[in-house]
Amino acid sequence: MNWHEYCIDICVAISINDYQTSPFFDEYLNSAKSFRPHTKKIGKYLTSLKNKDLNEINNATESAIKSMGISFRVYSEEFIEGQDRSWPLDFIPRIIRKKEWDKVEKGLKQRVKALNLFIEDCYNEQKFMKDSDMEESLILDSPAFKEYCIGMKLKHNSWAGICGSDLIKDKDGIFYVLEDNLRVPSGVSYMLENRTVMKRVFPELFQHYGVMPVSAYPDRLYEMLVSMSHTRSKQPEIVLLTPGIYNSAYFEHSYLAKQMGIDIVQGEDLVVLKDKCVYKKTIEGLIRVDVIYRRIDDDFLDPSAGNKDSMLGVEGLIDSWRNKKVSIINAPGCGIADDKAVYAYVPDMIRYFLKEEPLLNNLPTLLMTNKENQSIVSKKFKEFVIKPVAESGGYGIVIGKSASTEVKEKTIKQIKKDPRNFIAQPLALLSTSPTYDKGLVEPRHLDLRPFILSGASTYVTVGGLTRVALKKGSTVVNSSQGGGSKDTWIVEK
Amino acid sequence: MLSRDAEHLYWLSRYVERVENTARLVNVNSELMLDFPGDKSLGWQSIIGALDNLDIYSRRYITFKEANVINFIAFEQANPSSINNCLIKAAYNIKETRDYLPASSIEQIHNLLNQFKNIKDKKKKLSSVDLHRLTEGSQRFFGIINDNFSTGYPFEFIRMGRFMERADMISRILDTLCLSARLNQTHDFETLEWASMLRNLSAQEAYREESKGEIERGSVLKFLIQNKGFPRSITTCLGQIENCVSLLPNNKLMKNEIIKTLNKSFVKNIERYDDSQLHNFLQDLQIRLCNLDQRIHRSWFFLHH
Repeated sequence: MNWHEYCIDICVAISINDYQTSPFFDEYLNSAKSFRPHTKKIGKYLTSLKNKDLNEINNATESAIKSMGISFRVYSEEFIEGQDRSWPLDFIPRIIRKKEWDKVEKGLKQRVKALNLFIEDCYNEQKFMKDSDMEESLILDSPAFKEYCIGMKLKHNSWAGICGSDLIKDKDGIFYVLEDNLRVPSGVSYMLENRTVMKRVFPELFQHYGVMPVSAYPDRLYEMLVSMSHTRSKQPEIVLLTPGIYNSAYFEHSYLAKQMGIDIVQGEDLVVLKDKCVYKKTIEGLIRVDVIYRRIDDDFLDPSAGNKDSMLGVEGLIDSWRNKKVSIINAPGCGIADDKAVYAYVPDMIRYFLKEEPLLNNLPTLLMTNKENQSIVSKKFKEFVIKPVAESGGYGIVIGKSASTEVKEKTIKQIKKDPRNFIAQPLALLSTSPTYDKGLVEPRHLDLRPFILSGASTYVTVGGLTRVALKKGSTVVNSSQGGGSKDTWIVEK
Repeated sequence: MLSRDAEHLYWLSRYVERVENTARLVNVNSELMLDFPGDKSLGWQSIIGALDNLDIYSRRYITFKEANVINFIAFEQANPSSINNCLIKAAYNIKETRDYLPASSIEQIHNLLNQFKNIKDKKKKLSSVDLHRLTEGSQRFFGIINDNFSTGYPFEFIRMGRFMERADMISRILDTLCLSARLNQTHDFETLEWASMLRNLSAQEAYREESKGEIERGSVLKFLIQNKGFPRSITTCLGQIENCVSLLPNNKLMKNEIIKTLNKSFVKNIERYDDSQLHNFLQDLQIRLCNLDQRIHRSWFFLHH
């Protein structure tokens, strides 16, 4: 299909896939199959290209990614040099109007502010769970709840210094929050690199389009980390703590550390001395560390506080953090709000802590701890998506519609056995955007992950990382499972 | 610079240099043995001795047949300094430090490792061509580093590792071959052996140019230990290390010791040392090198807490 055909055939393309009864929202075309005002210009340009041109652009994109060494690794893969996968970038950008984005940005700031207040409340007064219908066990029995955080109050209330929220556009063309990633959200380096690649491939488009730049992120991240330091120094010692080169996100760890000019360290490079301060081991001797940007999970931070068998941690780190000798971002224990059951309460949190109405929508979410909800889901299984509350990366999700009877029964059984561990959401119809696939341009489903930084001030990335399901009809956008990405353009008009 | 990164670079460099020296040692000895009449096993035993592997070797083999010795040096799992193990450790250290190094240097190590794996998988005997390739491949690695790497702390750790390894190897080779009085050979063979020693250290041409005379024990010794220009003399290696040390921070512990070692290596009349004097001198040097390595670790890699 070439571009002309895409415009004409989009409905045909959709009608042949599995979701024929539900019309999707397409980011480029309206229901009358003409370009939306903000996609007109690029639409015109792209339709002027022949198939041959599209292939050439695609090749240029791929080779730019290869030569820049933008890669990622899938967890289960053994480490073999040269077998990192090239990062998949679709060269057709996803475009959002600035006016629309401004609202999203406000909504995200509001949301993260409430989440941070909620986390601090969980470890202190616990007012929210008393005053709302949230069951205490939802928090207190969660593995993400860390007793060593009780009583901790953090600078700027910032537990989640970095939040990556996943947004989707449903069939109504409105953004919804799908989940908030508060532990160690990743992907921002790909957002930055996607733009670099696109500028190489499409320099002429950027000259005429007025695309807002995204490159401020590393500086803003650095500022945020500085603002979290307990020391007065204007240049506190900051390190990025990585599990090491075998981690799937190592590319990003190394990229961000380089951009910020900070050391990338592993657990063995740090030591906590009797003064409870953290030091890094360098050839010049021990150097005191003020701020740790950690990219490892809570349980691997400190063997004396978490996983006893862990080789990755730093003995005494949590104690040092509790004594405010070091700042850890994101704070340990903040995963408590990164739970799909807690997600259901975010609108209530916004009303409770900020006395405001939520600006961004949540997807309707049924907690399985509620017996009534359980029976709704088992009766209308096909209309729901069932998600385990504590998994990430798209693992463990059951889509009712495409599940076999066997899977259905197994899932319902699991829910009954462990209701705390599951939620159900009505199947959201992810919006589509034209996407290049083996010489064709076809609609593919998208989501969007913006990143929100909270320190002395709050910053939201300009757009974020758009992820796209490259397989026809698929809604799984995770790069570990065949997802790709797009550059995200915020444009004035 | 993080201690861990510095340590990885130091060992990366030592292992690559070890591959080069080991490959050359085996190659030269093979050629030498072609000229040696009768039982060659003593000649091969001395190589195992030079590599300080007699213990491990004698647990596996009884005799010092060429095939066994080469197999042991090239592939033996239990030999921590087998070429195979050195390459694996080099590859491990380079993975941990890939952010520092030029991409082509990383590729070079992987090429070397892959070539060697092919030989190993085919259970082929290591040929002299293979050994040449290893020597050249290691040299290419350092060539890439020297041409593409800005100077600074990481560069100094690579340089220091290389010259520590080289000084260590030269002193071992000298020590072993100087005990070859044990062989009770003819004068002709002794000359051959000194010539092969020079080849071991790819020093033949440089030596000829410098000494203009015949190959003779005293002048070879003086050349390999004390020549100031030749990159494979012990004093040159120590001088390089001293230069690295002076450019690194936190160098108090090392500075005095390396200068002391350097002064010691400039002893007078070394060309007149007899075998036992030479052996004592080299033993002392070995201990000093060991000591230096420990100080390197204490100064920059291991911190006390």
